[in-house]
Amino acid sequence: MAGLLEQLDSSISDILAGWNTYTTLIAFSIVGFLGWAIYDNADADTHPLLLARQAQASYVRQSGESAVYRSPETPHGYPLRTGLAVKPAGAPMYSAGKDGDLRDIWLRVTGEIPLEKGASSNGTAKIMTVFGKEGVTEHKIEDVTKEIAVVGKHLQERGAKRVAVYLPNSLEFLGALFAGAFYDFTPILIPYNQPHQTLVELLVQTGADALIAEAGSVPLADVSRGASALRSIIWTVEKTSRHMDWSEVPEGIGGKLDVAVWHELVQEQKNGVATLSSTADKPPGVVFLWQEAVGKAAEIVEFTQQNLTAAVGSLITSLPAVHRLSASDTFLPADAFTHSYSLCLTLAALFSHATVIINSVAGPGVDLTLATRSIAPTVTVISAETAAKLHSTTNTSITGGLQKLAHYLETRMLTAGRMPTDTFLTKLNAPTRATVGTIPGKLRLVFVSERLGLNTPPLSSEDLSDLRIYTKARVVYALTTAKVAGAVAQTNIYDYRRGDMPTNKHSHFGPPLSCLEIKLKDNAHHKTNDEQSAGELVVTGSSVAGGEVHLGVNATIRDDHTLAYV
Amino acid sequence: MADTPATVIAPTLPLPEATHAASVFTPINFILLSVFAVIVYLRLKPSGPQTLPRAPPPTVFRTFTPPSLFPYNGLNNMPVYLAVRGRIFDVTSGRNFYGPGGPYANFAGRDASRGLACGSFDEDMLTKDLDGPLDTLEDLDSEQREALRGWEERFEEKYLIVGKLVPVGSPEADDTKA
Repeated sequence: MAGLLEQLDSSISDILAGWNTYTTLIAFSIVGFLGWAIYDNADADTHPLLLARQAQASYVRQSGESAVYRSPETPHGYPLRTGLAVKPAGAPMYSAGKDGDLRDIWLRVTGEIPLEKGASSNGTAKIMTVFGKEGVTEHKIEDVTKEIAVVGKHLQERGAKRVAVYLPNSLEFLGALFAGAFYDFTPILIPYNQPHQTLVELLVQTGADALIAEAGSVPLADVSRGASALRSIIWTVEKTSRHMDWSEVPEGIGGKLDVAVWHELVQEQKNGVATLSSTADKPPGVVFLWQEAVGKAAEIVEFTQQNLTAAVGSLITSLPAVHRLSASDTFLPADAFTHSYSLCLTLAALFSHATVIINSVAGPGVDLTLATRSIAPTVTVISAETAAKLHSTTNTSITGGLQKLAHYLETRMLTAGRMPTDTFLTKLNAPTRATVGTIPGKLRLVFVSERLGLNTPPLSSEDLSDLRIYTKARVVYALTTAKVAGAVAQTNIYDYRRGDMPTNKHSHFGPPLSCLEIKLKDNAHHKTNDEQSAGELVVTGSSVAGGEVHLGVNATIRDDHTLAYV
Repeated sequence: MADTPATVIAPTLPLPEATHAASVFTPINFILLSVFAVIVYLRLKPSGPQTLPRAPPPTVFRTFTPPSLFPYNGLNNMPVYLAVRGRIFDVTSGRNFYGPGGPYANFAGRDASRGLACGSFDEDMLTKDLDGPLDTLEDLDSEQREALRGWEERFEEKYLIVGKLVPVGSPEADDTKA
């Protein structure tokens, strides 16, 4: 026994006798690595199991369809969200609040309806516009209110009931939208940059009796000849072109057309006190067009005020409280207002008293770097085209091995459930970032939307993960469709998981929003059984035009209860 | 170890460190490097996101007739169902009350409407002829109807509705058979 111990002792001392400078080096490396591992060890942004089961399934399903899935915010047995739950000033603290409509959103912007308890701002939301390199202009909310009143009254006096709004993202666009709710007409939001012929067809199809458009963007002769129902037109004129007389109608065309100019209408009422009339009855809805690209045929969908407020309300609460839009946010819609997801998020930002920056450079495929050349947004909504472009341009610029390593390390951190933060390592060797905004690191949240059936470029979970690294912002991916205001489903803000969908190009779309519920109906190719849920997607809820819609697309609910294309 | 000049001069002294002959390939370096490699592997090994076991599949809503409902009485490991006014509740979680040996065991797998309305758990409250028409409950007085409504509300809060009850021979029952 003693011999054995001695043998052991001598062999250990033999081994230790080999200690040299390399050994010391290795020992320090081990200690250093362990130290880094401990320092680097932190909790994930959310509990991982919350991502492992994201929507709530009903316990009973009808045969021939899947269980009904809902957002965990509004579980089964509770009513779905139906609106904004706005409380007028002085309402009792625990009163339920009403669903509201666009008028309530504007009254909240002006500060007439107070913010929620705990939220604070300096009284109103802020609206700014940006023109090219010219810089940013802030608009007084009371001036905008006056514009809404003046233009609304003008159209009401002319008996306008269906007003086509053919504008790029602009203050006048929002003004016309809110004027519709206050002055009892239906705004028809036509995607900008249509060929003249298509525009005329769309005006006829939607039954527009008035048009608000940029002066010079539409030939008056074509419109007055093609769309005979049109009775009045309001031109909006850029500051630089206001010296020209736009209200004059050339001889021979548009004889019965009443032509007015936006800024002149506002100017005439400059000294008058224009107050918003608020009729108590329900304001009419808003018409959206669902169009693959300009010039193509469009699906015409009318959303009620209820549809819109339910969508806005559920988009606000879909974010956890710490990440909700607030007065400290700067929101840039870089997707067109004619897309309801972009518009509803803008309304949500206004409702939360964020600063909204309106840039006319907005729509599918705009370059985010260019759109943010003179501003520093914290939250933005972009089209999938823009996201794909941002991804591919940044991706090709990664060439160095060190950049790849930095990218790999941040990807690892995302996979571990944490949003990478600036550390000592990233200061030494930062991964490649995209240039977004004038202040790097200001952007915190990006909304991207897939437009169902419009051939939007797919974004995989890897692409989304890369985008999080390129923009240093969290990315939310939503499924949007013609007949559902806002979105059907959108990914959890903390869901950074990647690479679990080998067969699909599209990432999953997360759980449904809290204003609707989804189920899958069996069809010839996909059936729900005890092993899987698959079939045609059916959406029911208060943000759905008509209450229920069969989307005609095959989808599945995955094991983590997120919605995905099959 | 190779002899060094020191050993020649003073053979009794311990060996000095062989710094000039330092090599990476010593046993201790090998051991430490292996430990390092294992630690790095453990740290960097790819780990998938956490998953939960699959949720139990949802129960499929079915149309029952009294005879097809009868086996759902908790015997032979069957779930416990009971019908109230044409709606079938899954009361398996209340097996102690509605299952075999419980005070309400008579109701398991049967139409319990009349019994609940009358506050009686006796056998004679049940419809004897399973193939006959359903109990119409038309002879109940307002107090009994009130009691029945109370029971239904409690059931709706606590238990799932997993099907509906139709009499044997009704068109809906024939649909499910086909």
